[in-house]
Amino acid sequence: MPFTHNFEKDHSLNTASDAAERMIEDEPYYEPAGGEIEVFTAAYRNQLPVLLKGPTGCGKTRFIHYMSWVLHRPLVTVACHDDLTAADLVGRYLVRGGETQWLDGPLTHAVRTGAICYLDEIVEARKDTSVVIHPLCDDRRILPIDKLGQLLRVPAEFCLVVSYNPGYQSVLKDLKQSTRQRFVALEFNYPDTEHEQKIVATESGVEAETARRLVKFGIHTRNLKGSGLDEGASTRLLVNAAKLITNGIAPPLACDTAVGHALTDDPEILHAIHELAAAVF
Amino acid sequence: MDGARQNLFNLIRVQKDLEKISGQILARLPRAGDLVADIADLERDTQDFIYHWTEVIALSNEELAAHFIAKAPLAFRFLEEAAVEGWIIKAMDAFDNRGLGFAIEIFDDLQGYVDAHQQHQTGCRFDQVAGLLRYLVRGLGGRALQLACEPMAYTDTERICLPPTLGAFPERDENARLYKCTAAFLWAQNRYGTWRYRVLEQAIRQLDAATTWPIYQRLETVRLTACISRDLPGLAREMATIAHADEAARESWERFTAQAFDLCAIDAGAEHCLQRVVDFIGKPLPPPLQYQGEMLPAKVREVLFKRVPREKAALQQALASLQQELGNEQSQDPESGPTGDAANRFSISTTESPGGAADFESLEFNDRAVPTGPELEALLASILQDLGEVEDDYLNAGTLGDSYPASAELGQGPGMELGEFDHGSRVELYPEWDYTRQRFREAFCALTEQDVPFGNEDFVVQTRAKYQGLSKSIQRVFEAILSEAQRQKKQAHGDELDLDALVEAHVDRLQGREMSDRLYTHFRKSGRSVAVMFMVDMSGSTKGWVNEAERESLVLLCEAVATLGDQYAIYGFSGRTNKRCEVYRIKTFDEGYSSNVRRRISGMAPKAYTRMGVAIRHLGKLLSAVPARTKLLITLSDGKPEDYGSYRGRYGIEDTRHALLEVKRSGIHPFCITIDKEAQSYLPHMYGASNFTVVDEVHKLPYKIADIYRRLTT
Ligand SMILES: Nc1ncnc2c1ncn2[C@@H]1O[C@H](COP(=O)(O)OP(=O)(O)O)[C@@H](O)[C@H]1O
Ligand SMILES: [Mg+2]
Repeated sequence: MPFTHNFEKDHSLNTASDAAERMIEDEPYYEPAGGEIEVFTAAYRNQLPVLLKGPTGCGKTRFIHYMSWVLHRPLVTVACHDDLTAADLVGRYLVRGGETQWLDGPLTHAVRTGAICYLDEIVEARKDTSVVIHPLCDDRRILPIDKLGQLLRVPAEFCLVVSYNPGYQSVLKDLKQSTRQRFVALEFNYPDTEHEQKIVATESGVEAETARRLVKFGIHTRNLKGSGLDEGASTRLLVNAAKLITNGIAPPLACDTAVGHALTDDPEILHAIHELAAAVF
Repeated sequence: MDGARQNLFNLIRVQKDLEKISGQILARLPRAGDLVADIADLERDTQDFIYHWTEVIALSNEELAAHFIAKAPLAFRFLEEAAVEGWIIKAMDAFDNRGLGFAIEIFDDLQGYVDAHQQHQTGCRFDQVAGLLRYLVRGLGGRALQLACEPMAYTDTERICLPPTLGAFPERDENARLYKCTAAFLWAQNRYGTWRYRVLEQAIRQLDAATTWPIYQRLETVRLTACISRDLPGLAREMATIAHADEAARESWERFTAQAFDLCAIDAGAEHCLQRVVDFIGKPLPPPLQYQGEMLPAKVREVLFKRVPREKAALQQALASLQQELGNEQSQDPESGPTGDAANRFSISTTESPGGAADFESLEFNDRAVPTGPELEALLASILQDLGEVEDDYLNAGTLGDSYPASAELGQGPGMELGEFDHGSRVELYPEWDYTRQRFREAFCALTEQDVPFGNEDFVVQTRAKYQGLSKSIQRVFEAILSEAQRQKKQAHGDELDLDALVEAHVDRLQGREMSDRLYTHFRKSGRSVAVMFMVDMSGSTKGWVNEAERESLVLLCEAVATLGDQYAIYGFSGRTNKRCEVYRIKTFDEGYSSNVRRRISGMAPKAYTRMGVAIRHLGKLLSAVPARTKLLITLSDGKPEDYGSYRGRYGIEDTRHALLEVKRSGIHPFCITIDKEAQSYLPHMYGASNFTVVDEVHKLPYKIADIYRRLTT
């Protein structure tokens, strides 16, 4: 019988893998950009792993939550970071009071329970994680667990999803071809103006007109990408600003705190962002 | 001690201080006694400031120094320290560029400087707002407009030109607001189609500069004001607060706007304004808005004539290479899409936006949307801004290779042919930060990379022998770092058992104590990912001991750094004026620690001055191209940035500081190792409080350097 484990509650498992598994009970709010739900569903039915490409805060995580609800599968999310090794994903022996005990890692757990496993920001993880990711992603569909001497056969319900932000122009943070080519890629970007207004309004409860201006402001900051800013305001930041506004914070101040300071420390650019916010409100 | 005696001591001390600086300067002064008393009245810091600058100026010219010190106490009565410094630098610049007479005049005419300075306090200068406005205009969108300082406020559709100072309002903040509103209004002319190609031609044909242009300009202002209110209501409110000089002006504008109200419609374009001009001939016009600037159609036309064909060619080229890529994709996938050249067709979709402007939305190839990079999008947006549409012949992909000749746009640069330096090496242009104007001098420094002539490798052998013990211990320390970094012991999880921990745990168990579960070693494979650029001062001042210590240090360092497997490069730097900045390749990132590298280290010789900013920008660029998690730019230097001309003093320090900020933004950690004991007075400002270290004696440098490197990278 599969060994199940609640990753959120077990504090002894401080593998820093930041894993959480859950069944999504309520329908998450997701505003489709067009086509991605159908593509994902088709990939899922054909047991193809999926790569979500796009800048941070543009709805990738929300999309996976939504798809996990649509497909009735539990979701295991792992936020990757530069100390995350293959063992962190697969599992390891722990010594407890003189006994050794095997503990599944989040990936193994997801395979056993037929969950959707979402590896967020995959390029941040150690290179050795590809050892376990590759056999999962081709037609072998197996998860080798060396330490147990087991080969787990992957059930049809399981799906591997990884996300990747191509905006980091660092050579190190590029996804290797050998990995990339195993995935069906879905490109995400900031939603277009109309959708983004709807998202901002729905997520925060601000009026349509405020949402419209916030999105306009967001686009102005995106114009600064490459001349002063690495990234403009993401949808997430605009939603954050909108939430502050629904709580009575004046819009320009909300933009300064939720967007400006989240994007930069440079006083001159901050000032310009402040002026841009003041200009649209 | 009573006050009188204290006073006397003070006087004596100041007298002594002054004699120490230079008896000769004192001798030049007519009323040295009064001067001593005046200086004695000042704060100790201020006195030191005066002494310091007197010495510095005396290095250039003693007579000039005498003129300075004679006025210095008085200057502090009227000016802040920063302003006094501005006064000094102005005089020094005059000395460098125009000669002693002009410089003396600046010191003697203190009153003139004070007056101008106070005027500046309420007025606002271009350089105080340029940085902000550049970002603001960029953020508002559309073609990337440059900001420039010219006597008149206008736009030529590539630049927004603003006057050097604005002083119409009694408060500085209001003048700054006037700058902002002027820039925003000129941006709006570009955004909302005032300078659309066809309408401009028509206007030039129909209108007369003296009579009908002013009408057209007012009508355009009505239209643009409406556009701004629609899109940027917050900005429009702010603009309204300073639009009119008085109530009468406001009323006359309101009347005028009411008569031209149709121009406030969302789809009104400049051509509508042109049509309405006839209705206003002979009628009274309202005064211009405070921020509306000038309209200079001839200037715009000149720019437009160059840009339109250039962008057409650029677009055709971009489409040609895009077509080639798409073609390649298609041939791999023969089922999709029509084949054959006749069917290959680009088209674009646009969205209407106010003012009759069209915004680029997507590019299609054979009716399928294709990805466009930011560059192509900017190009299309710019074309749409000029023409309002992209005509069909623009979308005929050109043939690859026939590029439009790049015009000599880098005009105000260092005044030389680009590409070739006198010894055939490639010239790169870099900006320099002018703190007095708070802006970049674009393409101001010309830099070349040069080779260092080979020296004798014996130097390396001798150095190794001299520091034999040291080099061994460095080696051991670095090897330890390496294994330490790779194997973490006593981990809760890991790849192998940690024997030591296991034994400990076993003992604990035998003794009935609780066992630790941290029993693993964790291997961090290639945990280190460090790239270092050593930037070595090869200015003339390093001649002798310093140069030798630098070279010895490099020999020791190279071997140590190689042990760690870190990627590293070594470049020397020096220069003489902005026209001749040089860096010297000693070891590139691609090279190993070869015999050639050793011979170049031996061959490093002192050159000219220390223009640091440009070297940091260039070497920072090389470093940022190297893949590594941690990037360090380590400068070995003997003193302040300094070059012939105005680069000495605050100017050079501020440029260097700015260059360091730029490289920091690209993820590089700068660090400075210096042997200048005075460094404490300027290095914290440049590098930050903890990013430098002062080695107090030259000959200790080789002993310290490895240790410094270890601390930095572990
Ligand atoms: N298409 C969308 N539908 C609903 N909400 C969205 C959408 N895109 C972005 N958001 C909002 O933006 C926030 C950040 O999105 P998220 O999915 O966490 O971004 P990512 O995973 O790409 O970094 C979400 O919490 C949500 O409020
Ligand atoms: Mg996310």
